[in-house]
Amino acid sequence: MTDSTKLIVSHAPFYRDACTVMKRSYLIMAAALVAIIPGLLIFGIPAVGVCALAVASAILWELTANTLMKQTPTIGDGNAAMIGLILAMLLPATAPWWMVITGTFVAVIMSKTVFGGIGGNPFCPPALSAAVLMISWPHLMNFNGMLVNYDMAWSMVDPLINAKFFGAETADLYTTTDLLMGHQAGGIGAVCGAGLIIGGIFLMVRGINRWEICLSFLSGIFTSALLFHMSNPDLYAGPIFHLLTGYTLVAAFFLATEDASSPVNTIPMLIYGFGGGMLTVLIRNKGAWVDGALFAVLLMNLANPILDMIRPKALGKV
Amino acid sequence: MRPENERKLAVILGLVLLAVAALCYTALKPEASEEPIRMLFRGSAGDVLFTHQVHTGDYDVDCASCHHNLDDGDEVYNCSECHEAEASQDDDMMSRTDAMHAQCIGCHEEMGAGPAECAACHATPK
Repeated sequence: MTDSTKLIVSHAPFYRDACTVMKRSYLIMAAALVAIIPGLLIFGIPAVGVCALAVASAILWELTANTLMKQTPTIGDGNAAMIGLILAMLLPATAPWWMVITGTFVAVIMSKTVFGGIGGNPFCPPALSAAVLMISWPHLMNFNGMLVNYDMAWSMVDPLINAKFFGAETADLYTTTDLLMGHQAGGIGAVCGAGLIIGGIFLMVRGINRWEICLSFLSGIFTSALLFHMSNPDLYAGPIFHLLTGYTLVAAFFLATEDASSPVNTIPMLIYGFGGGMLTVLIRNKGAWVDGALFAVLLMNLANPILDMIRPKALGKV
Repeated sequence: MRPENERKLAVILGLVLLAVAALCYTALKPEASEEPIRMLFRGSAGDVLFTHQVHTGDYDVDCASCHHNLDDGDEVYNCSECHEAEASQDDDMMSRTDAMHAQCIGCHEEMGAGPAECAACHATPK
């Protein structure tokens, strides 16, 4: 006897849990704040200024675009504010005001609005914007140079610069506890590993972040860093160091998981995440740039439409 | 929440944060310390991060040991004011790069402490 329910499908939408775009945006911002607040406490007033300006200018850019295009304002969905806040996580605390405003312009207008708004962007907006800033003004995204006036009880030399240019033994200057507590030079929301992990787990548990992307990204980092480290421990730092420094955790939990630019099927998600992690370490260890996380995310964004062609087989025949 | 209320919330958030940012970038901006903590020298051979405060504090290096003009009654602390990018033929002034190299390497060798090899200070790819 055949199963009569096997070929019965209901039409979309299949599932609704009353979660709106606005709710998602504000939940992501809440998770980001868990990592940003320790950064604000460490870097002080200048960091507050950068975060506030990034969120405010992102909202105002989107409102301006809506007004010029005679559209109903979309700022209510919180997406622009979220983009601004995630971009602020990547910036140094002493970023000049014009760089923050340029960054949010690139993120909101050039990375999202020109592609049709939310859901149409092929690249993760904050990642694309930070990469543009890094290429345009590398000295303003150099944490060694931007944080010279911070006198801390811990080393304020960018761990990735140390490990890349002065040998893997410099990684010993940074203990795992220090890196988790935010005792390192880096972006406002990128230094506190513990905050990022807590925020990331919250987003995965709430189903906002797909765990497949986050965990495969981190396993890509771990595996490739481990292989490099095993091949030459004097030249390449170990996997824990790579997991807790630079933009790794921000990329895993806030950049690679961006809805429109990441895959929707399970196997593509795993390939996308693992590939992103691997590329990050490859660029760090072999490339010209100190941190490869942004470029790795953007390259995987580029591969996303092709990866998503790996689909489950449809049931039945036509 | 109704869409118009969502928009109002975003506008209020944007304006409040803009005011906070304006304050942070102007009135509340902390003053930089008079004595540099660290200095980043950018060069074609790679950046050099100089730990100024560590040298004057921990290593107890006297100001005039590097800022040699202070002994002549000069009050200029910025090396670049005299040592320009190119060496001056008129007054035998060393170029900035040569002056820095002579100062750092010379002192490190004299004291038998600190690096003297290029890659130990310059951030150059391995």
